[in-house]
Amino acid sequence: MATEAQHSPTAPAVADILEAARRLRSGIPGDVHEQLVEAIYADAERIAGRAVSRPERRARPTLDRTLDYFLTSRLWGFPIMLLLFALMFWITIIGANAPSGWISDLLVGQCWPLLREVTVGLGLPWWLRGLLVDGMYLSTAWVVSVMLPPMAIFFPMFTLLEDFGYLPRVAFNLDLAFKKVGAHGKQSMSLMMGFGCNAAGVVATRIIDSPRERLIAIITNNFALCNGRWPTQILIASIFIGSLAPAHWAGLVSAGAVTAVALLGIALTLAVSWALSRTVLRGEVSSFSLELPPYRPPHFWRTLYTSLIDRTVFVLWRAVVFAVPAGAVIWLSANLHVGGMTVAQYLIQYAYPLGLVLGLNGVILLAYVVAIPANEIVIPTILMLTVLVTGSHGIGEGAGVMFELDSTAATGALLQAGGWTLLTAVNLMLFSLLHNPCSTTIYTIYKETGSVKWTVVATLLPLVLGFGVTLAVAMLWRTFG
Amino acid sequence: MPSLPFLLSLLIIAGLLFWPGAGVVARWREARRRAARVRSEDALKHVLKCEVNGQVPTLNSVAGTLHIRDGQAAELLADMEQHGLVTLNEGRLRLRPHGRELALHVVRAHRLWESYLAEQTGVAEAKWHHLAERKEHQLSPEDTIVLAARLGNPLHDPHGDTIPAEGADLPADTGQPLNTAPLDTPVLILHIEDEPEAVYAQIQALGLRPGMKACIFSKEGGCIRFWADGREHVLTPILANNLTYVPLPGTTPGDLFEEEFLSGLHPGERARVLGLSTACRGAERRRLLDLGFVPGTMIEVELVSPAGDPTAYRVRGTVIALRREQARLIHIGNRATLPAEAASK
Repeated sequence: MATEAQHSPTAPAVADILEAARRLRSGIPGDVHEQLVEAIYADAERIAGRAVSRPERRARPTLDRTLDYFLTSRLWGFPIMLLLFALMFWITIIGANAPSGWISDLLVGQCWPLLREVTVGLGLPWWLRGLLVDGMYLSTAWVVSVMLPPMAIFFPMFTLLEDFGYLPRVAFNLDLAFKKVGAHGKQSMSLMMGFGCNAAGVVATRIIDSPRERLIAIITNNFALCNGRWPTQILIASIFIGSLAPAHWAGLVSAGAVTAVALLGIALTLAVSWALSRTVLRGEVSSFSLELPPYRPPHFWRTLYTSLIDRTVFVLWRAVVFAVPAGAVIWLSANLHVGGMTVAQYLIQYAYPLGLVLGLNGVILLAYVVAIPANEIVIPTILMLTVLVTGSHGIGEGAGVMFELDSTAATGALLQAGGWTLLTAVNLMLFSLLHNPCSTTIYTIYKETGSVKWTVVATLLPLVLGFGVTLAVAMLWRTFG
Repeated sequence: MPSLPFLLSLLIIAGLLFWPGAGVVARWREARRRAARVRSEDALKHVLKCEVNGQVPTLNSVAGTLHIRDGQAAELLADMEQHGLVTLNEGRLRLRPHGRELALHVVRAHRLWESYLAEQTGVAEAKWHHLAERKEHQLSPEDTIVLAARLGNPLHDPHGDTIPAEGADLPADTGQPLNTAPLDTPVLILHIEDEPEAVYAQIQALGLRPGMKACIFSKEGGCIRFWADGREHVLTPILANNLTYVPLPGTTPGDLFEEEFLSGLHPGERARVLGLSTACRGAERRRLLDLGFVPGTMIEVELVSPAGDPTAYRVRGTVIALRREQARLIHIGNRATLPAEAASK
């Protein structure tokens, strides 16, 4: 309390006050503002300590402690994590089968013939009808029916785990591995999101605040095998690799092969992060602080709603936007004739020598070019192109129309007619892991980084790796096989 | 008779070359003028630093600092004399008032920009000096006033150098090279020289920062061993020469060796936060303060990751995981074992 009496009768000149302030300030070590913050906190602590009384020192709830004890324990931490994620993928793959079938039944089985009839009735020329209905509509229908159910199952499950408080514990468990490769511990969270969808995984890197480590997470996200690629892996593994084993082991062997590819993806994530943080993205490991929030029962309906709106619909919309023109390109390439051959046949011929060197074939390479919009349409495109090239009759729906066969055996027979071997299958599985991200992801990377340069790096790096790995496998195969 | 296209292309080429302001020649001239200004400002900076620290600037020292030949340096100095920046009397180089003003501004701009990079951007520490070397020639005195206000008028740059106030003089460097520090005596690291870059990068990678307390305990075997921030550091004399110190009266070596850091706290123990190390600054420091790692806070180990690092700490009712590198920056004291009831997990 200042009173009149405390005022000095002769007020010091302003200059003197400023001089005193300067002198006092130069006596304070370090940053004045930080000293102030610390002093304010210390005062607050003192005042709270005097004024606030707490009944007892409230320990953390016993349940939280027990959960943390198991979920981050030396013995149980990693197995629980692996099991939980394996379970999540299993539910996604199994659970998506039926709804995928329904949607495909509706969009491809019923709407598609109806649209054909309507356009015939309208008297549209055959090429416009083919372009619109067989090309654009069908590719969109494929993307929606194959993409929507797994995303609608995976994303809410992921968000529920997030809401429950488990995901920060995963980052906590895995941080050391990411620290060793010069990346951020929270990259493990965007990596797992990437197993659902790489575009969503790239968006999820926003939780990493250091720009350098965020770029690493974005560039390596494509090595997480996304939902769109699991069906390819499973189909090819069960046709070509499962059949190598006795019948009762076939399921296990093909599941093992798919898991091996997914684990290879994780190993590459770490290896590429390591290489990036030692070359182009060199820099100090930034600070890491992670809050481990208390566990809480997730808000089920709210989570369901927000994850559907924020993640599923968002990703699906971008995929559809890219699928429409891709459908047109696919249809045109199979129907435009130049000198007696379709454009697709020319392209396959051009790509054939390269495909051969890589242990793949021209059809696969072309399918990966036209199927950039979504990995989901790779298999339908491969089947369509294989029919086109082998001239198999009675299979499929006509030139430029993507389709899937009802039985795995029929697909295998068609592919073998197209000249596929075990090497083709193994390399296709590797190439499916290691190729450019889909256009939705590429666009998302551009949106998130705002840089053409890093978008190009993120796009071409996996592709170059894919060429290298398949080439090496093909060479080893031919030397020792 | 040359054809019309030929004439036209000649005209276009001439335009590209000689267009005022935007042509190749004009740009080249502008670039040369800028380069000359940069050289002259760098020379002024060198002369100022020499004068302040009682050294004698010479033609050779200017040439050495600017990495130019002696002949070029002579030309440069003659030019600067003509512009009234320096005087050259009997080989003695002195700043004239205008030159001193300009030199002070450049030094101030450099150090302010380094502070800005350190405090408000995520730019890697190794790049600060290099970027500031360029920026110092682009900032106007008005810019530096605005920048200083935005940074809260800092007194020191991240290397520990004094930032001269607007219109004030540059104080002399007060520190001595760390090589010359006495054994078993606590000292304060005052400044870390940021040139040459490779040497600075090595010192920085060791986590040494101005403001740290250090105590040399051995100078044997061609290296200098000292204790700072709860760890032993080893530097070669060449590296140590780039660090300067001032004595730290009132502190005994024992105080320094007994300092404890959060990284040393075991599960089942609690301690009080005493403060953050000076090695922790900028965004990282603010983040830790925001999370509640402020003096007086009680802290205990909650969980250790299955891999051994990071560790989760309980601070003010929340659980925060930190890597060992961060925990090493937090000073603790009053270490005690938790009562059995609370410690049981």
